[in-house]
Formats: sequence, C-alpha cells, structure tokens
Amino acid sequence: MKYGMVIDLEKCLGCRTCAVACKAHNGQPPGVWWNRVFTPGSKFHQTGVGEYGRMGMYFLPVCCQMCSNAPCVKVCPVGATYYDENGVVLIDYERCIGCRYCMTACPYGVRQFNWQDGKKATEKAHYAHGYSYGWPHKYRDKQGRLVYMPSRPKGVVEKCTFCAQYVNRGEAPACVRSCPANARYFGDLDDPQSEVSRLLTQRGEFRLLEDLGTQPKVYYLPARRSGGERIERI
Amino acid sequence: MKESKAWIVFLGLIVLAGLVAWGFQLKEGMVVTNMRNPFSWGIYIATFAFFVGIAAGGLIVSSSVYIFDLALLKPLARIAKITAFASAMGAAAMVLPDLGRADRVYNLLLHPNFRSPLVWDIIVITGYALVTLVSLYIDVLPDLFKQKSRLAFPVGGKTEDEVLEISRRLSRVAAYVGLPFAILIHTVTAWIFSTQVSRSWWNTAILPPDFISVAVASGTALVILVSLTVKGRETFQQYAGAYRTLASISGAFIIVHFFFMYNDFMLRWWWGAAHEMEPLLIALRDYTWLHLAEVVLPFAAMIMFLHPGTKNSFRGLYAASLILLAGVYAHRFLLMPSSYNSIPLSLPVPGVSGELWAYPIATGVYNPPQDIFVSFWNYVPSGVEVMVTLFPMALVLLVITLGVRYLPGCYESAVKASLKRTDEKTVSY
Repeated sequence: MKYGMVIDLEKCLGCRTCAVACKAHNGQPPGVWWNRVFTPGSKFHQTGVGEYGRMGMYFLPVCCQMCSNAPCVKVCPVGATYYDENGVVLIDYERCIGCRYCMTACPYGVRQFNWQDGKKATEKAHYAHGYSYGWPHKYRDKQGRLVYMPSRPKGVVEKCTFCAQYVNRGEAPACVRSCPANARYFGDLDDPQSEVSRLLTQRGEFRLLEDLGTQPKVYYLPARRSGGERIERI
Repeated sequence: MKESKAWIVFLGLIVLAGLVAWGFQLKEGMVVTNMRNPFSWGIYIATFAFFVGIAAGGLIVSSSVYIFDLALLKPLARIAKITAFASAMGAAAMVLPDLGRADRVYNLLLHPNFRSPLVWDIIVITGYALVTLVSLYIDVLPDLFKQKSRLAFPVGGKTEDEVLEISRRLSRVAAYVGLPFAILIHTVTAWIFSTQVSRSWWNTAILPPDFISVAVASGTALVILVSLTVKGRETFQQYAGAYRTLASISGAFIIVHFFFMYNDFMLRWWWGAAHEMEPLLIALRDYTWLHLAEVVLPFAAMIMFLHPGTKNSFRGLYAASLILLAGVYAHRFLLMPSSYNSIPLSLPVPGVSGELWAYPIATGVYNPPQDIFVSFWNYVPSGVEVMVTLFPMALVLLVITLGVRYLPGCYESAVKASLKRTDEKTVSY
C-alpha cells in the first residue's frame, strides 16, 4: 500500500477550510500550520494577478508532499523522521532532537518547529476560556512510535501526518473530508483501481518542484482558469 | 602570570553567562531566539561553521612540518595543535544550544542515521579532536618525561633519547593521519550544506573546496594570532620566518577563496535564472554591509599578509589576523540569509514571465501584529542568541589559554630550552 493524495486545482475555491480543519483536528499550536492555501503570484489571497484584461488566479493548497525520496528523512541524524509501512513520512516526537536539519532540507516549507511549549503558546493566544481543540489522544503507529499528541512538547519538529490517527481507522484525512468542493482525494497509489490512481491518468497531473527529484506522493490536477499552466520552476 | 589569571577568571565568567542564557533558552524554548520556521538556522550554526574552519590551523601547521619539510614551523606546532583542539571543542559546544531537545542528544549514539551528513560530521569532528589531542600528547611527551610527570607513563623506564625518538617517529605518523582528517572536517561540514538540493545558495560543488580554502586561511590566522600573543614581541625576530610562512599561506588561500566565491557568483549572474540569482541578490541587496565586510576585510588581510611591510611587522600580522577572522565570521553568517530568504517553493507568476513568487511559510509563533505567513524573515540574532554564542567563544579562548599555560613548550622560557634541544638532536630529519 502506498498512500497518496490528489488535489484538483480546478475544483479548489481557496476557502482554506482544509487548513482550518487540519489545524483543529491535529491540535496545531498557534502559529503552526500543516496546511496552507495561497493564490500563487498574488500578494493577497483571493486576488487576481496579471495584466489588465488578462487577469487570472488559482489557489494552491500545500501540505507535506510525502516524498518518496524525502530529503527530510535522509538528513535526520537520529531517524526520527521516517517512512511508515504505507510510505507516509512521519515524525517520532519522542526521538526528535530538534536540530531542524529537516526544515532546511524540505523544499516545501511544511515543517513546523515547536519554538515553545504548545500549551504555553495556546495560553498566550487568549482563546475563549476553556476552549481546546485537537484529537484528544496520543497516537502511536504500528511500531509504537509516537507520531501525534494533543499537547506538543517544545523543541520538536512536526508536520502533516496524512491524519495517521484517522487513516488507521479507515477514515480519510481531515482536509479531504472537510473540503466543501471535494477537491481532495486520498487513497492507495499502488492500487490501479483506486480513485486516486484513476484520476492520475486523466488530466496531466503534476507535482511541486518535480525537477528536484523528491518524488512527492501528493499530485495536483491543473486548474484551467490559470490557462492550464504548469507550476514548475522556470 | 597574574594578568593571565585575571583573563582566565574573565573568560570563566563569560562562559558562565553564556550557560545561564542557554538555561533561559532551555526553560522558555527557542522562541527566545529570532529564528523561526522560514529561517531555521541562525548564528549558532554560522558560528559552528566558523569554529570548524579555524580548527584547521593546528594540523595544517604541524603536518606541514613533516609532510612539506617546513621545519621552521615546528616551534609553533604545539600552539597550533592547542588552537585546533580548542576550536573543535568550540564547534561541539556550539551545536548543543542549537538543539531543541539537547536532553536527547544521546539519540545520536543510539539511533544514528548514516545517510545524514550531520552524523558524518559528528564522526569526523570527534576524530579530528582525538587526532589533535593524541598528536599534542606525542609532541609534549619528551617534556613530560623530563619533568617526570605521571602523564608520561607509556614511556616509563626508557631513556631520554629513546623518548625523543619515539616522539619524533609518532609525530610523523600523526602528521600523515592528521592532514586528511583536517581536510575531511571542512569537506564534510560543507556537505551538510551543499547536499541540500532545496537550497540553491549552498547546493554547489564549489562549497567544499571553498570551505577548505577559508579554513586554511582563517585557521592559519588564528595560529599567528595566538602565537604572537603567547610568544610576545621580544621573540618576534626569532620566529619571523615561521610567521612569514604562515602569513603567505593564509594570504594565498584568501586568494583561492575569492576565486571560488566569484566563480559561483559568475555562474549565477551569467545564466540569470531567477532561482539562481535571488540568493545572490539577497546577499548584495539586503545584506550589503555584511557582504562588504566579507569582501573588504579578507581582502585587506590578504594584502597585509602578502605585503613585505606588514608581514614582517608584529603589529601588521596581529591586525591582519584579527581583520581576517572578523571577515570570515561575516562570511559564515552570510551562509544563512541568502539560503533561507530565497524560499525553495517559488513559483512562476501566472501571466508574468521570469518572475518568481515565494510560497509563504508559517513562522510557527503567533505574535500579533506580526504576520504568521511570511516570504522573507529579517533575521537578526536576539540578545539571548548573542549571549549563548559567547559561551563557546569564551570556551575556545579558555581552552587555548589553559593549554598554552599548562602545557610545556608554549611560553618562551620553555620554548628556548626545547629549541636548543631541537638544534642538538632532532634537526636531522
């Protein structure tokens, strides 16, 4: 089994629901975002770019690209970042020494460091009294490695896990389930009959910074609105 | 000697202050630094790279004595090895405060990932520190033996001549083992950066050779600086030949460094692709003053090291060494901004050709009215970072001070004695 994601940019309406659902379900401390959505080329989200008469825009959600040749896994000096049995890149919160080499290595800027204790950061944000969010239990993978906990310790790196705690129970990641446009698909790339595999043969999919050779398992279907331009390095 | 005691106490206090600052950082988290997710390595790693560089001097000087038959450098070899060992210790000490979880540093031993250049670097730097230490020990062995020190136990029961012979033979071996190690630590430290395909500023084959040239230049300058300080103005003429040789080595390698650096600039500028140009522009446009420092200071030092008027003067060499070290420190700092502030996930702007748009990165800290998502992070080290950096800095100076003070053959009286002995017995090699 090889988990992968397909994001249809033609369907994405840039509402950022995925980013918020992701944040809420995975208890990300204030300032930490596993999922981002922006309007490429534009200073402001949801604002068109280009010359007068030839304006256009599309929205690009970016989470961990789950590379098959992941620079973060290669550089981690202690093997805290690793591939699980389904090719998902995970971080062991108990192993990480916080050297942040992986953040330097990752070309997608998805890795987030806990610059302070998660609980303390949440207190400083002054949310409504008693408000808390995030899956409330620790989650360990099949090898017993701690890859999710509701309250983050300071000094470790975190990022998208493809919602390890849900996928293990046969549910799709929070971003996929919450997308109002159904722009995200999740499934097994090894199975040619899966929805994600079938989508990949149809519309000229591409991956981010493909020329770096990271071989992501997150694929994008181009938006026609942007003229079907490929999002690659010039 | 009284002065040196006050100096040691002073350094001790700075080490202490740095440790207190580190304690504060451990308690509050690394939020007290000015690093953030988009700019995740700062002055700590820059200083680490600086220390690895200046550690080069030791074995280069002492190995040259044997490998390149530069016998005139021998009187400075001991000091050189002490500076090398101290700098390697400084590099090790500098990495620790950069770890978010320094309490788990043992994981490096329990679960090393041998594909990580960081693990290779830990191995070669530890190896280098050991080789330097052993080489230093071999060097001082005859003196320890003469003083009937207990530290000379491996050669107990031998005659003085035999001990001298052993020391000379093993020094040769250490020279041949040491030089490749000295080259390796700079190569591997550069690989930490140059292997990163996402960072165009570092991802070039010129980086390791450039690290070596900067290391030879700055490591040699440190040996000149410490030797001048320890041996004093009175003996300057006695060692003028050695100083001149070291100055020429340093000066020549500054030229090599400039050659490598501008080679890299040239390729970036000529092709002009946005993701290649951007890091260069950041260095020139956003960090103009630091860039001027990294160019002008080493250039001035190069002239001073090569000009007969200054390379034959105590003051000239002293100033040149200090200027070079400052310039190299600026150069090391500039490893970071051009790398982090040209965000790897930069995409074409639809409808506009040749322009790149950087996909914003979450800083990791919610601190209104500061933006959470940024595509440029104006990194300036925080007060805590500066304080913490002082700890390994003072530690290096402390180890050097204690080394030259307590090891025989560094201060002048002892040196004269050993020189005399060298003339009589070992000049034959």
